[in-house]
Amino acid sequence: MKRKKIFIYTLLVLLVAGTGAGFYIYKEYNRKHKDTANLKPDFSAPAAQLLGEFGKDEKSANAKYLGKVLQVDGLVKDIVKDEKGFYTIVVGDTASMSSVRCSIDSVYNGQGATVNKGTAIAVKGICSGYNADEMLGSDLILNRAVIEKN
Amino acid sequence: MKNYFVLAAAFMLFAVSSSAQKFFTKSGKIEFDATTSSSPEKIEGVNKTATCVLDSKSGALQFSVLMKGFAFERALMEEHFNENYVESNKFPRAEFKGTVANNDAVNYSKDGTYSVTVKGKLTLHGVTKDVETAGKLTVQGGKVSAVATFPVLLADYNVTIPGLVADKVAKTAKIGVTCALEPLKN
Repeated sequence: MKRKKIFIYTLLVLLVAGTGAGFYIYKEYNRKHKDTANLKPDFSAPAAQLLGEFGKDEKSANAKYLGKVLQVDGLVKDIVKDEKGFYTIVVGDTASMSSVRCSIDSVYNGQGATVNKGTAIAVKGICSGYNADEMLGSDLILNRAVIEKN
Repeated sequence: MKNYFVLAAAFMLFAVSSSAQKFFTKSGKIEFDATTSSSPEKIEGVNKTATCVLDSKSGALQFSVLMKGFAFERALMEEHFNENYVESNKFPRAEFKGTVANNDAVNYSKDGTYSVTVKGKLTLHGVTKDVETAGKLTVQGGKVSAVATFPVLLADYNVTIPGLVADKVAKTAKIGVTCALEPLKN
């Protein structure tokens, strides 16, 4: 009788643990990307300052910013629309070749149409990294970006 | 005086026609596909912020792509790609440096589609290897679009697939490249 009870309890515990693990795996597997609009920026800085930091020491800037939520302030240098209609907002000083390129999150793509060249903007996005290029100008890339202030 | 004018005009015309020597984009598309027949779903990511430069004179071709810029539909898949497979914190960038081997066969001033062979070195996950692939260059109205697909054996670049999912992730990933290149104005 006692043995049977232990057996049943063990079974019950295993069942609960199994269901819990299964549920966790299912949830993790179907987890959506975090909505950038709801994320608090880890860093907020003008475009020129960020580009300066990456230009000076890419390695330590990568360690500081890579994968983090960045809010960038600056002037809209260019608005690029790709063949599928997705927007990239290029932020930076027109006198400089370098800029921060922000790929607008597909969910918020409509925001791209509201942007005007030469106006001040604040864009929030996930820092994907820095492409140094002397000929074309260096770029800092933000992905899943949303426009904060326009 | 008139002659000078003609000379200046001729010179300007020459300058315009010869200036489009380099073509570039900063929004090239690179697709990564590691789906195999036993995968439960598509394993693919896309990066739309690749930089590409093509020198029409020498045929020199360069790509640079940020690994963190690959977007996957599932957040978990994207994290695994970055953290466990390509280790994008340690190796943030993949690069290709090469040439269009049959560059002479491409007439950059005449519209048309040209089959090309591209040879060069691909650096990914800190490992550099020679790659060669067939692709297509399409010249239209002074712009060049480049399309290619090539296989990448993940083990070649020290990308290890954990045993648990080894049969669900392709050992050879398909890489697709689509770039619309604009002439570089100097």
